[in-house]
Order: sequence, then C-alpha cells, then structure tokens
Amino acid sequence: MRRGGPFYAQLGLTVLLCLFIVVPIVMSALAGVTVNVFKGLSSGLTLRWIFEVWDLYAQSILLSLWLAVACLVVTTLAGVPLAYVLVRRPNRLTRMFEEILTLPVAIPGLALALALLITYGGFGSFRSSWVFILIGHVLFTMPFMVRSVAAVMSAMDMKTLEEGAASLGAGFWHRFLHVIVPNATPGILAGALMVVTLSIGEFNLTWMLHTPLTKTLPVGLADSYASMRLEIGSAYTLIFFVLIMPLLIAMQMLANPGKKRRAASQPAEDE
Amino acid sequence: MALQNLGEGRSRPSFSRYFGMSRSAMASPATFMALMAPGVAIVAAFFLIPLVLVAMEVANGPDGWATYLVILTNARYFESLVQTLLMSAGVTVVALILCGIVGMFLVRNRFSGRSVLIGLLTLPLSFPGTVVGFMVIMLAGRQGAVGSISNALIGEKIVFAYEIAGLFIGYLYFSIPRVILAVMASAEKLDPQLEEAARSLGAPRWRVVRDVILPGLMPGLISSGAICFATAMGAFGTAFTLATDIDVLPMVIYTEFTRNANIAVAAALSIALGLITWLCLSAVRFLVGEKADLATRGGA
Amino acid sequence: MNATAMAQPGSQTVQTEKTGGTRIELAGCTKTFPDGTRALLPFDLTINGGETLVLLGPSGCGKTTILRLIAGLEFPDAGGKITFGADDVTSQSIEKRRVGMVFQSYALFPNMTVAENVAYGLKVQKVERRERDERVRAMLEMMHIDMLADRRIDQLSGGQRQRVALARAIALRPRVLLLDEPLTALDAKLRVTLRTEINSLLRKLGITAIYVTHDQEEAMALGDRIVVMQKGAIAQIGTPREIYRAPRSPFVADFVGASNRLDGRIEQNSLVLGDIKIGLEQIGHAVEGGPNGHHDGNTGQGAADVYFRADGLAICTPDQGQMRGRVEAISYLGEKSRLTVSGIGESAITLDVDPDFQIAIGDDIHCRFNPERLTVFGRHSNARNAAQTM
Ligand SMILES: Nc1ncnc2c1ncn2[C@@H]1O[C@H](COP(=O)(O)OP(=O)(O)O)[C@@H](O)[C@H]1O
Ligand SMILES: [Mg+2]
Repeated sequence: MRRGGPFYAQLGLTVLLCLFIVVPIVMSALAGVTVNVFKGLSSGLTLRWIFEVWDLYAQSILLSLWLAVACLVVTTLAGVPLAYVLVRRPNRLTRMFEEILTLPVAIPGLALALALLITYGGFGSFRSSWVFILIGHVLFTMPFMVRSVAAVMSAMDMKTLEEGAASLGAGFWHRFLHVIVPNATPGILAGALMVVTLSIGEFNLTWMLHTPLTKTLPVGLADSYASMRLEIGSAYTLIFFVLIMPLLIAMQMLANPGKKRRAASQPAEDE
Repeated sequence: MALQNLGEGRSRPSFSRYFGMSRSAMASPATFMALMAPGVAIVAAFFLIPLVLVAMEVANGPDGWATYLVILTNARYFESLVQTLLMSAGVTVVALILCGIVGMFLVRNRFSGRSVLIGLLTLPLSFPGTVVGFMVIMLAGRQGAVGSISNALIGEKIVFAYEIAGLFIGYLYFSIPRVILAVMASAEKLDPQLEEAARSLGAPRWRVVRDVILPGLMPGLISSGAICFATAMGAFGTAFTLATDIDVLPMVIYTEFTRNANIAVAAALSIALGLITWLCLSAVRFLVGEKADLATRGGA
Repeated sequence: MNATAMAQPGSQTVQTEKTGGTRIELAGCTKTFPDGTRALLPFDLTINGGETLVLLGPSGCGKTTILRLIAGLEFPDAGGKITFGADDVTSQSIEKRRVGMVFQSYALFPNMTVAENVAYGLKVQKVERRERDERVRAMLEMMHIDMLADRRIDQLSGGQRQRVALARAIALRPRVLLLDEPLTALDAKLRVTLRTEINSLLRKLGITAIYVTHDQEEAMALGDRIVVMQKGAIAQIGTPREIYRAPRSPFVADFVGASNRLDGRIEQNSLVLGDIKIGLEQIGHAVEGGPNGHHDGNTGQGAADVYFRADGLAICTPDQGQMRGRVEAISYLGEKSRLTVSGIGESAITLDVDPDFQIAIGDDIHCRFNPERLTVFGRHSNARNAAQTM
C-alpha cells in the first residue's frame, strides 16, 4: 500500500478530531482527583472530591441506577411483544403505531416533558414520585428497544421457526417464550444496553420532570456544575464515566463479534 | 377497500384485516392485540393524550389560538428561531464535512491504532448534554485547555465557552460520534470497486470523490445530517450548563415555562420546535427512503 | 507421451501475437500484503500483444492479485517489474495505465445511467462532446444494449449490467482489458451466451486481455493460453489443449477435471495397476522424475498416481475386461449416462456409457483402460514435489 500526502493529511485530521474529543475527558477526569485545579496537578492527587460527591449525591446516583433498571424492565416487557407484532404483522395500522412510538425520540425532550407536566402535573403524589420520571424515560427509550429487537427478529426467519415449533405441537405462548424470545436474545441484549445507557444519561426530560426529592445523576451533575467548585463537578463527571464506560464497551463488543464472524466465514484458502 | 370488505363478508372487517388470518402457525388476532396492549397503553396514556392536551393548552394563552403564530409574530421568539436554525445548520455542515473525511478514511485504511481512534471518537456517544457542556468548559472555559495553551503562547487567556462559539463547539462535540458512525456505516456499504473502476477510467482523486464517493455516501450523509440538525435544534442540556445568554429556542421555552410561567407560549413554541424536527426527519426519510438511524441518537 | 508434445494431430496452431495489442511483461514479481500474507511467490509472466490469457485456479490462489498488479491497484514487492510494451509502468498508478477493468460485481456507478457510465472515461479524458456521444453509441450498439442507454443501473438484469461494464471498459480503447470472474454472478445459461460473445468481442478487438476464472470450461473456451495457479504460484502455463491433455502435476490434472484417481506402480517402463500392466509408451501422458518434471526416459520405479476422466475407462465383455466393478449409482445426462462404480480403486470411479445401455444399480460390469486417456505421475517426480512446495 502506498501512503502519500493525502493519507497523512487525513490521519492528521483524524487525530486532531480525536484530541478534540479526548482532551476534555482526560482533563475533567484529572481535575476530579486533583487537590486544587487552579494550581494544577502539582498540588497533588486526592480522592477527597470523589468522597465528597458521594456524600452529596449518592441519592441521585442510586436513583438513576434504580430508574435504569426499572426502565429496562418496562421496555423489555412491553417492547419485545411490540417488536414481534411489528415484524410479524406489518400493515398500515402497525406501521402507523411504530411511527407514533418513535415520535418521542424525534421531538425534543423539553416538549415531551412539557406535555407530561401539563397533563399530569396536577396529580401531586404522582408528580413527585420517581415513577413520573420513569414514564419519561420509558417513552424515550422504548423505540430503541423495539427497533433493536425488531431488527434481529426480521433477520431471522421467524415464520419458519414458528411453523417448525407449531408442527411439533407448541401453542402460541409456548412458541413465543421458548422459541421467539430466546432467538431474539442478541437484539434484546443490544436494546437493553442502549436503554440503560440512555436512561442513566437522560437529562432534557428529567430536568423538567424532577423534584428536589427525585434528582437523578445527570440532574445532580447539572447542579454540581452550576453551584459547586470545579473539582466536585469533575469528580462527579468521573463517576459518571466510570458508570457508563462498561456499558459502552459492552455495546462495542456486542456490535463487533458479528463482523469477525463474517470475516471468518469467507471462503477459506485451499491448503 | 370497502368493496373488498363486503366481498370478504367479515363481521369485523378492519380488525380481521389487520390481525386476522388464523393460519396454522400464526397467533390469533386476540393474541396480537394482547401482545400490543401494554405498549399501546403506555404510548396512549403518556404520549398521545398529553400531546393533544398540550396542543389545546395553547388556546389558553393571551392570544388564544393565535398563540401558535407567536413564534413568527414576536420578534424575540422569531430571532431565537432563526438563530437556532442557523446554529444547527452550521453545526450540521461542519460535522458532516469533518466526519465525512474522517469516517471515509477510517473505513478505507487499515493501520495500527485504527480501532483505538474509532473507540476514542465514539466515546461521547452516551454523554448527556450537560456533560458535553462541561467538556466545553474544560476545553474553552476559564480553566480550559485552550486558555492555558494560549496563555503560554501569547500571554492571553482565550475563553469562549460561555458564548455562541462555546455552544457551537458543544453541539459539534455531541454530533461527531454519531455522524462518524453513520458515515462509517454507509462507507462500509460503498463498494470499493466503484472507486477502482473510476480510477481505471483515468479519474483523478478529486473526481473519484465527486463522482463516486459523495453520491454513494449521500443517503447516509443526508440522514445523519438530519439527525444532527434535529438534535441540535432541540438540544437543551449543553446550553443549560454553559448558561449562556444565547437565546436558543429550547432555552427560551425553558425560561418561558419556569420563570415566566407563560405556559401557553411555552407549549406553542414546543409544538413548533417538535414540528420542525419531526418534519426534518420525515423529509429525510422521504428523500432517502430509509429510516434515519435511531441508534445514533440521544438528546443533547 | 511427452508432456511438451503440444502439436498433436489436428491441433490448431494458436496465433498468439497479433498486431495492435500491447505486450505485457511481469518480471520477478512477488506480492506480500502488509499483514504478512504472501499472496504471490516470485514469478515471471508474459502476455503477448492481442492474446487472451486466462488465469485459472481455486479461490484464494492469487489470481485477483496478479490482475491488480497489472491494473496498478497493487504494487509488486521491491524487485518486481511490470512493462506495457516498451513502457515501464511498475510505479505508475492505475489512472495513468490505461487499463480496462471488468469486475464480478460489475461496479457500475449507480448514480449514472447506462450511457453516462459508458461515457464516464471519455468525459474524464475530456473527449469532446460530439465524439464522445458517437463513441458511446457505437459501444452500446456493439454490446447490443443501445436500447438501454437511458436506463438506471438498478433497472438492469445481471447480464445487461455485465454488458454495460464491458462497454465502459473498452470505450477508452485501453491497452489491456482485465476481467475478474465477470460471469460468476450470472446463471449457467447466460454465462455460456456471454462467454461466446466476449470471445468474439476479444478476437474482433484484437486487444490484450487477461481473464480470471475458477471455471475450467470457461478457461478452455476463452483462453489462447491458460495459466493454472496454485497457492500463489504458477502451476502450469499452456494452451487449453496442453493443459487438458498434458497436465504437469496432479493438482492441474485434478483441477481441469480428471477426477478419477488410482494408485499404481511404475516398474520397468510399465504402469502396474493391480495385476494389469500397461507399457508406458502406450500411456497418453506420463510425468516421471527428471529435471523438469517430465518423463525423461529413465525407468523410474515406485508408486504412481493415475488420473483419468470418465472416458479413461470403457465397458467391455467379461473376457476382454481388465477389471470388474459394481455399479453404485447411475445419472442419466441425456447424451450419455454417468456411472459411479466401486471396486476398482479405493474410492469410487465415474465412467460414461451410452444412455441406452441396459444396466442397473448393483450390476457387475467389466471394463478396460483406454491407455491414451490416462495421465500418470510418478509419486516421487519433481512435478509432484514442486506442486507440494508451491
Ligand atoms: N488486501 C489484502 N490483504 C491481505 N491479504 C490479502 C489481500 N488481498 C488478498 N489477500 C490474500 O491473498 C491471497 C490471494 O487472494 P486473491 O488474489 O484475491 O485470490 P483469488 O482471486 O485467486 O481468489 C488470499 O489468501 C487472500 O486472502
Ligand atoms: Mg478473486
């Protein structure tokens, strides 16, 4: 392969873009463990800010994790059957429903939050419970679960699978639980990662929906950015990174083996 | 349609048309309904009804139904709309150019460190808008990297995190991972032999780009551009964190709703904003024919 | 008898040098990919002007890599040299080489019409409008696709696409036409039609052409000469007749369709198969020891591989028979029936009989060899060793 000027010019641009992305991440991670940001790293490293964040925001962090799990349960229970129907019965009605289902992703979270507030804001105890936020998250993440599962379901030959199971005498619910769902597992897994990641990071909706007692991780983040010293905001961000990274890595690993398998299935060399 | 139903002579025409045909390995219509029920209930109760109510809420505004036009008639709102549109369009164009070059490069070349670069570039994929805002502060804030470097070089701290440039950088930061992934996905579908064929016919590099690569990437560029644009239009977290004085539309809506308790106007503006982003995405789907890829979205 | 005996009675003399075509030479070329794959071992190859050379071999043997070296899409390792006529093009990139390429996947520009595809090269070369239109029209007419001029690519069938690809490649009058498995994606019948058309097109144009395929029949039908490749090396170069009748190694014999194999021995100038003895002078093609892997007249001793096609054995009466086998399967092929027979070698042997011949599965049959149609390789001959190290 010949690598001339154009190759290195593009490589340079890529590296620059990479720096643009990475430098602030590294800086904020460092700032989170620095004694005094204004003096720089020479002031020494400390975990003090991390502990302080935990003291201040443990509630929000735990609530976010709880919300993510709850959101995952709801979107899986409601989303997998939906995906099945959308794939198995594609017609005008289901397509229209799919369109409506994805709307909450297309329109800004702020608008969606406003609609929820105007409708249900009056129900005091509902308004101030975590369920109110959960509803926002479910609306926002459900399309991702449905799409992800539907993609896997339409890739497999579900008709044949089902007919095979039916010919063996399996009734619908048995087929659904023991043939369809297990075969759609990769889609459910990918969708689940997406749902959890999005739920943990969701801010636009949550900021409008939250109350002082139902602060989530990103709400706390915004709060710390606005009112705490830089080190605390940075330490909090660091905690967020640590939470989100395994999810991101899992998503990449889930996306990659497919590629490797494809490469391996290419005609083998004659020995 | 009606004739068909008559011909079929079914008692519940619409129902059985959509969910009917109890063929052997096919669930019964009732089962299909049962499967859809939870999802439909959630969407109806918490999305459709609120949507209708918020649309009606506008009528309670100072100008009644005319409140819908406030975004056009009120100079402040209109200015904000124009500014948001310009800003989003600008971010989209810059992101498409940068990510087009980089994404194509990453797909077409294999070198050591390539997957590390891809990993790093897509790192912020799940950062919420607030974190992106904080990244901008890290980059161009009072304690930021740009400031420190410029201070060392020219003895002056360059700080632009809290103005429109900062917001622009933030939206760019948010868009880059998504657009790069989308470009890479469509570049991978692009047959490298098309480029080779063009070159064998004597086409120099720039012509290959213009005649083969760009047309091939176009659907991917249009759809990821639309997502980028729509997301920038609705982005709230970044602007909120930077606490800029810039009146982008989401900030205006937020202010109207919380500070001024001007619910009707906030609702009208929200609907306008939602309409714009939805139209933008639908137009693209119409143009490109495929659904703009959801997987690369997430609110800023 | 002798592997190099190409002038068999009745063979046409193949005219390989034609005026007009560019002569192409690859000297001392090797190809190692950045990941360390040695796709091509050192080789020399000359393609005469106007000749159609076919590269034949199994998938992954390096055919495409040779084609890409000639095209300028890959470059040989240091030391290799590629010349087009008098031009040294070794370090020239593809844009400058004036080569026409036809791909298996057609690689037509989907954003252009048929006519625009064909016109693209001319446009890039700034051929002026009137002449360009004229030449595009002529090309489309020649490929019988003039009625498709304004179609989009996705409105074409596979065969039509390949015609457009051919028209596009030759519109610029390239110095060499490179075709990489152009017919593989088409169905069998169309493949034969298009093959015939490509054949007459190449003869008409008198252009130097290199055609890659893994299909033995296609190679025979199209090639002035065939290069059989095996694991990055050239196993044999020759006319279709040479390759078919006088394969130089078991690999070539097997690849060009001599699918029956028996273990034999060579003893005192005779081939011994069980209790049958056939004088080596009767054998159609024997490759035994010796410096070039050819039969050198020495009485080699030892094990030998015997290859033959379905015509290497004939059914006969029991008293004339050299051996007896059992019919395991019968496939009726129309003009003949193909029998699968066990009991002759270790694995089953196929042989052809008249379709009206009365026979049933389980029958015993007697048959004898047709020595003219046998190919024999001494087990320890250089040819075999060479094939193994390739
Ligand atoms: N770009 C490349 N990088 C590494 N190995 C390659 C590359 N291209 C081809 N190869 C390897 O070189 C060998 C020859 O490939 P190729 O010429 O495409 O074979 P053929 O066309 O005969 O099927 C194969 O083993 C293939 O895997
Ligand atoms: Mg090949």
